[in-house]
Amino acid sequence: MESYIPKLLIAIPALPLAAAAIVAVLGKRILREQSHWPVALALAGSCLASVVLIFAVQQAQKDHRHEHVVRLWTWAVVQGAGSGEQGAESGERGGSTPYSVLSTTNSGLSSPAFRMDIVLRADSLTAIMLGMVTFVSTLVVIYANGYMHGDPGYWRFFAYVALFVFSMTMLVSVSNFVLLYVFWEAVGLCSYLLIGFWFEKPAAAAAGLKAFLVNRIGDFGFALGVFLLWTTFGTLDFHDSKVETIPATPGHVATTIVRVDPQEIEDPNVPGTVEPGIFGGHHVPVVGRLTKDHPFGEGAVVTAICLLLFVGACGKSAQFPLHVWLPDAMEGPTPVSALIHAATMVTAGIYLVARCTPLYAASPDAQAVVSTIGGFTALLAALIALTQTDLKRILAYSTVSQLGYMFLALGTGSQLGVTAGMFHLFTHAFFKALLFLGAGSVMHAMGGVIDIRQFGGLRRKLPITHWTFLFGCLALSGIFPFAGFWSKDAILAAVAEKAGEAQSGWIYEYLYYAGTITAFLTAFYTFRAYFLTFQGDERIPKEAGHHAHESPAAMTGPLVILAIGALGVGAYFQWMGDFLKPDGFLMQTPVLKALQIQAEPAGYHVPVVATYPWSPHLTVALISTAVALAGIAVAWLFYVARPDLAESATKPAKLLGLYALSHGKFFIDEIYAALIVRPLEALAALLALVDRYVIDGTVNACGAFPRALGAMLRPLQGGLVQFYALVMALGVLALVGALLW
Amino acid sequence: MKTVLLITLLLPAAATILPAVGRMQARCWALLASLATLVGAIVLVARFHVGDAAFAATDYAWFDVAGICDHAYMVPDIRFSIALDGLSLWLFALTALLLVVAVLVSWEAIKDQQSLYYRLLLLLGTGMLGVFVARDIILFYLFFEFTLVPLFFLIGIWGSEQRRYAAIKFFLFTLAGSVLTLLGLVAIVLWVWHASGAPAMTFSIPELTKYLQAHAMPYRLQVWLFFALFAGFAIKVPLVPLHTWLPLAHTEAPAAGSILLAGVLLKIGTYGFLRFNLPMLPDATAASMPCLLWLSVAGIIYGALVALAQSDLKRLIAYSSVSHLGFCMLGIFALNRVALQGGALQMINHGLSTGGLFAIVGMIYERYHTRRIADFGGIAAETPVLAFFMVFMTLASIGLPGLNGFVGEFLLLMGMFQRAWGTAVTEWTTQYRVISVLAVSGVVLGAWYMLSLVARVFFGPLRQRAPCTHGRHAEPIADLGLREVLALVPLCLVIVWIGVQPKFILDRMGPAIDQLSSQAMRAADEKEELTPRRQAAKDEGKGRMGERKMGERKMNQEKYEWPKLSTCLPLSFSASVHSPFPYVLFLPSSLPLCGFAPLRENSIGRVIPRQKPLFDNIWNSEAERPGADQLATELICVP
Repeated sequence: MESYIPKLLIAIPALPLAAAAIVAVLGKRILREQSHWPVALALAGSCLASVVLIFAVQQAQKDHRHEHVVRLWTWAVVQGAGSGEQGAESGERGGSTPYSVLSTTNSGLSSPAFRMDIVLRADSLTAIMLGMVTFVSTLVVIYANGYMHGDPGYWRFFAYVALFVFSMTMLVSVSNFVLLYVFWEAVGLCSYLLIGFWFEKPAAAAAGLKAFLVNRIGDFGFALGVFLLWTTFGTLDFHDSKVETIPATPGHVATTIVRVDPQEIEDPNVPGTVEPGIFGGHHVPVVGRLTKDHPFGEGAVVTAICLLLFVGACGKSAQFPLHVWLPDAMEGPTPVSALIHAATMVTAGIYLVARCTPLYAASPDAQAVVSTIGGFTALLAALIALTQTDLKRILAYSTVSQLGYMFLALGTGSQLGVTAGMFHLFTHAFFKALLFLGAGSVMHAMGGVIDIRQFGGLRRKLPITHWTFLFGCLALSGIFPFAGFWSKDAILAAVAEKAGEAQSGWIYEYLYYAGTITAFLTAFYTFRAYFLTFQGDERIPKEAGHHAHESPAAMTGPLVILAIGALGVGAYFQWMGDFLKPDGFLMQTPVLKALQIQAEPAGYHVPVVATYPWSPHLTVALISTAVALAGIAVAWLFYVARPDLAESATKPAKLLGLYALSHGKFFIDEIYAALIVRPLEALAALLALVDRYVIDGTVNACGAFPRALGAMLRPLQGGLVQFYALVMALGVLALVGALLW
Repeated sequence: MKTVLLITLLLPAAATILPAVGRMQARCWALLASLATLVGAIVLVARFHVGDAAFAATDYAWFDVAGICDHAYMVPDIRFSIALDGLSLWLFALTALLLVVAVLVSWEAIKDQQSLYYRLLLLLGTGMLGVFVARDIILFYLFFEFTLVPLFFLIGIWGSEQRRYAAIKFFLFTLAGSVLTLLGLVAIVLWVWHASGAPAMTFSIPELTKYLQAHAMPYRLQVWLFFALFAGFAIKVPLVPLHTWLPLAHTEAPAAGSILLAGVLLKIGTYGFLRFNLPMLPDATAASMPCLLWLSVAGIIYGALVALAQSDLKRLIAYSSVSHLGFCMLGIFALNRVALQGGALQMINHGLSTGGLFAIVGMIYERYHTRRIADFGGIAAETPVLAFFMVFMTLASIGLPGLNGFVGEFLLLMGMFQRAWGTAVTEWTTQYRVISVLAVSGVVLGAWYMLSLVARVFFGPLRQRAPCTHGRHAEPIADLGLREVLALVPLCLVIVWIGVQPKFILDRMGPAIDQLSSQAMRAADEKEELTPRRQAAKDEGKGRMGERKMGERKMNQEKYEWPKLSTCLPLSFSASVHSPFPYVLFLPSSLPLCGFAPLRENSIGRVIPRQKPLFDNIWNSEAERPGADQLATELICVP
């Protein structure tokens, strides 16, 4: 089974790419309304392959093979300095400069070879991400078959989606930072294209532009981080290889964990070995020492790298202050919101931070920042979501908020925290995709209206949508035994755990409170949306016309499947599955093993396997369930039982301007416009004027100078012969005078 | 291969002689000739082997002076010498490709005097190809200046409203700089001749490079010559603030002119830096590194911001060229391997993507007869294929991974980071770090102005067009035809190819660039080594330097400082007397003497006795004439 891993790893992205190519070429003229078939089949194939891959990877772990690398081709090579040719030249030039000695000793320092291969890798983390991405995208494509029906850009939609799935599967399975960046931007491009799918709508075009630009700002940080990584470590590969150099003693987790099948990393160009990676192999223990005796001192560079990478993660995963693009991205078709802007692409930032766990482990400061930003964003987005009236935007802010939870968990840096963050990523994909698809179903029935004030009591008209949506809401609110309960509980437990620590525990204490308050707010705004949409008196907007009926089976089918997931995945993986336990599947990822090693202060020789109790943290679970139920109760009170109470209760908030603050999204867009966009535009306009008048003016003045000189001398050549004669005579006189002198 | 190169080079020019009559024939001939050129270029690319330094070389003595004036004190050995190396190969191929695109784009757009137009276009083609293959300084300069003439007429006759002004400004501006460049180039030739003591004065670029790499010029002289070469090349590039001819010329030129101007002619500047400044004047290059990096990054940011404020499609793209060429220059002057490769690759990339953008803008103009961005809106609904290509080229231009722009930008920024963070901390380090971070921010600005351009022109609701004065508003807007698609598809294919597999190009380019830049890179590293801020700490920590070297180093630290103004003034006076600049006067007077001898085989190796010095006016007798070393010491020791 293991020998299939390379093939599976290639097939998973290759199938969607092929589908994208087929639809792009044939879609417009031949496939037309059948354009979903190639994509759906390809994604189903990928999904199947991903499931097989998970089992194959699991199988291989029994033989202590945790990392599988497939090298496709070499992307770019820049030959390094210090080659023989250079030495010969320095000898040649030696006579003229006395520094040839210096320069030869220095040549090793100047620029190491740059080499970048297209390499795929599989480990537990990748396998889980691949499974999640392909599963959700398959369901979304089936759903979109019904949702996008009759759209003039039908084929275009499916081509973009297939391209996105290709990029996303590549993003989680590539093996170095450059390729990660490549596909990081590629998913951003797909997001840009899909947000602006209805490009005739100015709002959609603007939202696409905004998404791309805000992501570019994040990528700016990401790129800086990557460059710094390269200048610091001299490599950008995750994977590793010099396994043979470490003796395989039983105590060596680091060793056993990264043993790679040599045949799989065999490279014809580099016999025997591959360059050492940053995270894998013997570098895992190195991470533990980074803070102490790294030449760049106290891990400052590592902190800088972590923070810069986190800027990239903030852009992609919509964390404060770069979260502004995600709510606007709801201008895209709803299946896209479900797939890209809820379940998959926005979790790329979480994946990045999880993938860089050893780096973050080396920098507690960076971890604190990640947690703080995560917790703050969770709270902020929840506060904004309280007063929004657009169903999709409420869900978008809730996505921002839940992503904040995940960062909060990752920032604890503990084994429990990272696992909990990934667990939440996994469960969130199910219930948030479900909620978005449910919202799409509502929108479909309501003739495109998505304002929750305009409809109500839809539970009878849309029974399946209603029940599945309710499941999603319960999961999002974290009610036992739905999926969100388990993962959110794990996150809060991890934060509570960390708050007990002496070092910087106080931060996590506050973050725990923030997380708990967010849990209350989440339950409130989720059920506010639910009650306003499905409960109360039946109200249907004019735009709906005769369409106010349940959606077709192509749409409700995926809803039901996802609803089952939203109910069950949490409990299943909590109790039955082994892949989120400390010694479970996810923790077999080499980078996550670093956490276990880090726990040992004296070094890395005797790694301590952390012994967190992997059971629901009872106190935390009780508190979070209590606040969630309270949130639901308040929502019920305000929007079902006593609507008049809502008015009177929110009056003081309105007076204080808090309501406006929340409704206006804390005016962050306006602040950006005033502080960044408009000043830059003004500067641009000013520079354009400078260019035209100052710089070009100077050039023209230089050009005018000879002309002016000519104009000055022109009277001398007036054509008056007498004047010439006079000058000639004077000249002769002067000459004669000079000769006689 | 020798013949292929010769034919490919001369074919466009030869095609202009053909007696083409009627408009159909003119453009068909032009297309055929440019296609044949492209085929030749492809054959050359296919046959090129990694590491070839003088591929498909042709070498003939050209101005055979020795035969005419036997008593000449010096024998200018000007040769018709052409060859390809890893760097020029790609620029050559790029030119051939863009020439085809230019002809296809002009197909319908040019209605008047077609025969003349296509002849000028093809002549321009030969001029541009020649610049990249020339291996003789005079030949290089001939082609270098020759490109101006056809372009001058192309802009001046077929341009838009301000065409005359633009043509004259373009011509004079670039000419002003390149005259100084000629001065510098000839001074290099004369210095080498003087220093080597060889009877024949070689103009061969490889030989000069080889000599200068073995025997460096005195530093001060290098600085002066660097400035002279800089004048011409920096205007061509163009570096801010010498760029103002560019937006004007780009905007006023016909579409084909803009394509070739942006795609190829700007590269002549960066190519000049790579071909002459880096290998021949390495110490001056290293010394000027901070200055040029600042200018480059200023160009990146400034070009991007000014582009943001433009209201004219072509002007916007023209300013984006300023920004992108800033990236190229940044890569070149970061002076390390990765960055240089990135910078050189970025030259090709910019040619492809900006050439494509100008072609598309030409197509838009053909349909809508306006270039004002405000006149457009939502035209993607009318012309989806055009919109597809526009978005594609935009993405290539803003460096989307998977397309070509990313590879170049990524490599050169990586190299810049290597320069800023990777080496020892010196007094320049902080500056480098600021520069590198600013340069990366240029990537964000690039996405801003390009994507908002696309959004304003192509997206949103379809804008009702104002009644047009040409009375053409009634006719429906057609999407791209087959000819236009065929013009753009090759560009797109190459863009994707470079994005996915840049190794093919980098492998071939690498050795050539290493060869050209090794001295400059070494000098840059030396400079880093000579001016470390944390000197003491480093010495204690690593014990790398002995005391003797410390002393030596201190003494020679001034080597890489800029000459101060107080020293500059006497120096310039002294240089005007002692330096080889006056030699230049010799050239114009000697060329008529030489005459144009028919091409014949090399006559190097004939020993010409030095009987009659021509320089009596400078050094009164043979005895007083200083030798090369003495000259060098004099130049350095001027206060």
